[in-house]
Amino acid sequence: MPDAQELESYIRRKFAENVGLTEAELFSEDLTLSTLITRSERMTNSVDLMEAFARTSNGLRKDFGLRVRLPALSLDTPVSKVLAVFMGEVTNPERKSA
Amino acid sequence: MSVLARSLEHEEPPVASPQIVPSEGRPAIMAELYDALTQKGLSLVDITWEQQRLHESRRWSVVEMLSTVDFTHVGEADRHLVWNAGRAELTTKPGADRLERLADVECRRWQEKNPTVAAIMQACGTWSRYWNEEEAHHETAFNRLSTVLRLERISDATFIEFRKVFPDDDMLRTLTLLSISEVVAAVDYGQCSQMVQDPGLRALFKQVAADEVQHMNYFVSFAKALVDSGAYHAKEAFAVAHLFLRDGGELHGSKRERVESRDTHVNWWDQLEHREGFYAPDALRKKEQLIFHALKRITGITVTSREGVEDTWMDLVGC
Repeated sequence: MPDAQELESYIRRKFAENVGLTEAELFSEDLTLSTLITRSERMTNSVDLMEAFARTSNGLRKDFGLRVRLPALSLDTPVSKVLAVFMGEVTNPERKSA
Repeated sequence: MSVLARSLEHEEPPVASPQIVPSEGRPAIMAELYDALTQKGLSLVDITWEQQRLHESRRWSVVEMLSTVDFTHVGEADRHLVWNAGRAELTTKPGADRLERLADVECRRWQEKNPTVAAIMQACGTWSRYWNEEEAHHETAFNRLSTVLRLERISDATFIEFRKVFPDDDMLRTLTLLSISEVVAAVDYGQCSQMVQDPGLRALFKQVAADEVQHMNYFVSFAKALVDSGAYHAKEAFAVAHLFLRDGGELHGSKRERVESRDTHVNWWDQLEHREGFYAPDALRKKEQLIFHALKRITGITVTSREGVEDTWMDLVGC
């Protein structure tokens, strides 16, 4: 089982890859999801965003055997909150294994 | 060369007399549009004729329908259903206008690369004129009733706000979203038809619900044709279904704890006003079942639960 720090850096890296922005762009300004959609050339709307979350979750499943399901998040949610939700899910002992 | 020989030389091929045109069956939506275009070799003229026949067979008059409503019979709760319906229907015109434009853009984008996909797009854009006309019936019927019943006036500002055009997206996502929107509308109007007291109003809700079912079937047919062509991936249909079915998803409309505030467009399901003590259509289970069925018809993939939709979508997305 990877430690929390390892998981956090994995989620940051994968999420940035999937939205098509750098980790620095994404997390240093703590972008909201709506700003993220505007800034990313890969994103048109919240369905693209949902897909970026899904790819990150699928990566966690494939590489660490962790199953993460994210709730619907409003577009004014900052990415730090998204990261916290991901971390809460992967460290939650009640979650289902992959 | 004799005059006779010359006239025979230039004789034109015989023209089919109207008597030998094969008899046409009952007009119907082409559920297998891709097959019709590729295997059966139907042209856009043929497909448009089928659309026209079906549209004509389903036409009805708003003026006549409203003349059957006994306004003294429409109670407070039923008035509220009428008012919500009229406001919601304002968003359908920009939906149809946008579909027509997007379908034509997509048609031209595909024309060189894949003429069949281009034809599917053009068939969809062509049909949007019937959709627009039929939705105009719904909008004007309910809003005229609201006016006659002296319900809360819809301001010009609201009218203009509700006419905002939804931003463009992938065509399969768009068609799936429209299919689901029609599912929700059809179930809601069906429920309204069972709740209202006045027989004329009941008939109106029933007619509109039947129209919405027909629209849903058209959207499913176009979406299925795109998937059948191999140019569009089932993932996009599942993504939109998940957007509606997930916890806190669009299916819950304005009953959600939090509705996204947008300045780009209006989703009618976010704008329904629920008043304390008044009936509001819901039937979530029925809507879910119809969405699963639509997904099966569009993609060929069977799902029977919300979790199944999410799992399938995540598998299709990959890493």
